Amino acid sequence: MSAETIGGSAADGRAGNAPARWAVLFGLVRAELGFGILGLRLFMTCVVIASAMLGLIWLLSDGLADAMRDNATRILGGDVAVTVVNAPLDGGTETALSSLGRSSRVVELRSTAAAGPADAPRRLTVELKAVDAAYPLYGAVEMARGTDIQAALAERDGIAGAVVEPSLLAQLGLEIGDTIRLGESSFEIRDRLLREPDRLSAGTFLVGPRVLIARDRLEETGLTGRGSLTEYRTRVRFTGGTEPEAALAAVRSAEPARGWELQTPSEAAERVREVTNRTTTFLGVSGLAAFAIGLTGAWAAVAMWIGRRHRTIAQYRLSGATTSMVVALHAVLVAVAGALALAIGLTIASIGAALLLDMLTTRLHLLWEPEALVGEVLLVAVTLALGLAGALVAGLSGITRVPPLRAMRDDVPGIGLSPRDGLVAGGLLAASLVLAIAGLPNPGMAVAAALGLTVVAGLLAGLGLLIARAAFRLPADGFLALAVRQGFTAPRAVMLRTVALGIGIAGITGVVAVQHSLQTAFETQIPTRAPDLVLLDVQAPQVERIRAQVAETPELGGLQATPFMRTRLLEVNGRPVEEALVNPDKDWVIEGDRSFSWAAEPTGSELLAGEWWPADYDGPPLVSAEEDVMEAFDLKPGDALTYSVLGRVFTSEVANIRKEYHRTMRPEFLVVASPTPFRNAPHGWIVSLQGVTGESLDGFVSALSREAPNVTVIDVRRLVSDAAEVVEGAILGTLMIAAILLLAGSLSLAATVSADVDSRRREAVALSVVGATRREIAIARLCEAAATGLAAAAVGGSAGLLASWWIADGALRVDWAPGLVALVLPAALGVITAVAAGLAGGLGALPRGRGQLARMLSG
Amino acid sequence: MDLSAPPVIRLSQARLSYPTPDGEIEVLSGIDLSVSPGEIVAVTGPSGSGKSSLIAVIGGLEPLSGGQARVLETDMTAETERGRTLLRRRDIGIVFQAYHLVPSMTALQNAALPLTLAGDPDAQAKAERMLERVGLGHRLTHRPSALSGGEQQRVAVARAFVAAPRLVLADEPTGNLDQRTGETVIRTMFDLARGSGTALLLVTHDPALADRCDRTLVIEGGRVVT
Repeated sequence: MSAETIGGSAADGRAGNAPARWAVLFGLVRAELGFGILGLRLFMTCVVIASAMLGLIWLLSDGLADAMRDNATRILGGDVAVTVVNAPLDGGTETALSSLGRSSRVVELRSTAAAGPADAPRRLTVELKAVDAAYPLYGAVEMARGTDIQAALAERDGIAGAVVEPSLLAQLGLEIGDTIRLGESSFEIRDRLLREPDRLSAGTFLVGPRVLIARDRLEETGLTGRGSLTEYRTRVRFTGGTEPEAALAAVRSAEPARGWELQTPSEAAERVREVTNRTTTFLGVSGLAAFAIGLTGAWAAVAMWIGRRHRTIAQYRLSGATTSMVVALHAVLVAVAGALALAIGLTIASIGAALLLDMLTTRLHLLWEPEALVGEVLLVAVTLALGLAGALVAGLSGITRVPPLRAMRDDVPGIGLSPRDGLVAGGLLAASLVLAIAGLPNPGMAVAAALGLTVVAGLLAGLGLLIARAAFRLPADGFLALAVRQGFTAPRAVMLRTVALGIGIAGITGVVAVQHSLQTAFETQIPTRAPDLVLLDVQAPQVERIRAQVAETPELGGLQATPFMRTRLLEVNGRPVEEALVNPDKDWVIEGDRSFSWAAEPTGSELLAGEWWPADYDGPPLVSAEEDVMEAFDLKPGDALTYSVLGRVFTSEVANIRKEYHRTMRPEFLVVASPTPFRNAPHGWIVSLQGVTGESLDGFVSALSREAPNVTVIDVRRLVSDAAEVVEGAILGTLMIAAILLLAGSLSLAATVSADVDSRRREAVALSVVGATRREIAIARLCEAAATGLAAAAVGGSAGLLASWWIADGALRVDWAPGLVALVLPAALGVITAVAAGLAGGLGALPRGRGQLARMLSG
Repeated sequence: MDLSAPPVIRLSQARLSYPTPDGEIEVLSGIDLSVSPGEIVAVTGPSGSGKSSLIAVIGGLEPLSGGQARVLETDMTAETERGRTLLRRRDIGIVFQAYHLVPSMTALQNAALPLTLAGDPDAQAKAERMLERVGLGHRLTHRPSALSGGEQQRVAVARAFVAAPRLVLADEPTGNLDQRTGETVIRTMFDLARGSGTALLLVTHDPALADRCDRTLVIEGGRVVT
């Protein structure tokens, strides 16, 4: 690269040797810094936002991923874990597992905890976990009083102990030392549970607070009866001499029946990480968007700063400074401001990430080390510095082509990016972007999302261009129309502004529309569709008693009873499911146990293919597969599906494919089989009550808990309310991200407006000379900014509404109801932010004060 | 030139001062001046003598610090900024050395601007005729960046005269132009002023140009010396 480009040699023929040149440069930098770098404050704000946003997202997602990896054995609870449903492993298998190292057995099930007087107890659905004396094999159970878990669960004065999550105490109005009843047994609450090392192995959706009791006190509760939904986990911690691979092979060979689930720590962490990856990738893409918008703003701000310094640059050149010296001087000044802004942004990011990680890891029961962030911060700094260098090269490019005499004139047209500097800047920005994408937990998804974002930005730009061209062709006879049209004289600038504001507007509009759709669903759709109460683990005789009781009490509404079992898909047409899978997005259907039921008559779901079996069919089992299974394996009626239920393996012909409309909120099953032989197998039922009115529900639940303590009662209304709170939190977070994007966009816009501020001031003077009043000029400027905002609102709002429809209908499966606010908001946001950015950028600049106008006119 | 009619400009002890970090600096120190309708008056003097400030005061761009100024029967010392602006729109045209055209507008839009602001439905047609008179009928749709300095100044002249003002102020209108182009601009201005009976106050350093005017005022140190 030649000396006439930013990246070129700093050779300065006049300044003599290199040390002398550096001394000159140092002196100039010191003099300029002594004057201050306030002129770069817009640039610094853009860099702070870009670095804080990307840094926060990156550090947060990496911190979470690291925590998952570091906590893998804690999450699984051992080096290997075997889970079976409904019945424990047989003694021989247990012995085989125990021979591999130290083993621990844990049982998990949902139940109802009761407290208070026996005739009027307070009840709460809980996630019960019974642990043996070896628990936990990895990590430690943290409790408020710091007691040992085994000591807390042990029997004292004839009563066994329990450790509970604080929310149980709050909801049942209990204290430490009080008693709760679980099934037929009572337990004394000994401590509050703060952190459970293997919490995530139970999944992320818990219907109630956790209760820990001793494994050897579980049987006497009577909760693990016939058909209960109980998970038995056996974990092994390999001893020093154990060879992990050989031990795993041994465990696999010990498999007593198909249908058990064997997991290693990496698999357990991976499953949880997949959930967090989706979230962090979304956040990451938002971070990338803020980064890109922020850097665009930084570029525009530097270019604007250089534009304002044309006379100064010319003075340096006229005084004998070479181009490379002037470039070096400005590069150092911008670099100093950039480094300062980067440091501020990364400090904000680090503090924010540390606080959020602390909160999230506590909620996820994970351990996290703050020191782990240090290396990541450095990597983020390098990435941002590369991006910043790209923006700096682009911004400073104009200096090299400002000849001294030309720069002394006021009417110098804007000098753009030279092709060579454009390549250097583009290369640095691309390197920065690649590093940023590679730093995200799921680069593949991030690339896809980034490409999607690029396509959206391209569409926004294209639409912006079309609007600009259309607006410019409109007739403009009056002064205001003429002034508004001035905002569209440069279609490329309109395009950039539309993208800068449009992305943020799209984000906020989309979130608001999704939020309104969800709110509408929670307030109107779900209450009418969802049951009020769901009873789990109901035994067949209990179903009949409940049915009779509901029939006698009209206030209890309608009842629906469905057999409920668990199945594990094993083969499709004789091929293992892992090989038969054709749609990786649907791999969840082969992960672990899935819902299974039997029915003689159609369940009411729409049949996509095939026919339902006759009501009196009594032959070998036929199955009805849900649409997701069809998509996972490209399944069709007539195919053979092999699956395990209650430890037995069945191979059945697929009779039909069902479509489940998930928004109906009724029990749904991945596989439904014909009744024989499952009708007579030991299994539980799900009973749901819908349309419950009045106070009869409390009495019904009280009686049920006395007569059927094994039945778990789930108050769906409370769960819906809890879910609504979680969703509100997610919406708030997303809204904040979109708001930051909009802020970044408006800063970027302010930077581009600032770049024109001098010519705008001259324009205002010209208008003033011919008799335009200040008010007229101000209104014209506001209208021009508003028109830009409306253009951005039109494209951004449309994109946001489209995205919200896709999210609501496709991902959240609620009816799309954007609401009036989402329809009006884009225009309001567009106008307000464009006007604010315009004013911040000096759009309304008019000479004020005695003498200013005259001096400008004569200058 | 109608010497019996009331003067279009009458300044009496007009004073103008600007604030500076070192205190107020007086640029006009008691100017007395009268210009009749249709009269062409040259204002000369050394740099910094207050010539441009005099144009700013008469054009209503700067309020006086002291004294009296009546322009086109309007008391500029009592008039609000809005009132002075509307007077300028209606009755005063101004031409500057630096052209001061709106860069994003075409020559036609620039020339029509005073009429557009006044809501004249024939603004475009009148501006087109005026541009043809100044020899720019073929450059109507060009923006300032596509015009030469002389062409830009002729657009500025067309803009100054398009609303048929009673007074045109010109502050060194040929300062940025070569002699030949400058002569074209001056001849255009004189023709337009004499043809419409418009009074013209012309700031210039060129003695030959001053000699072509009806009379010459010399300003030094913020005062009229002759």
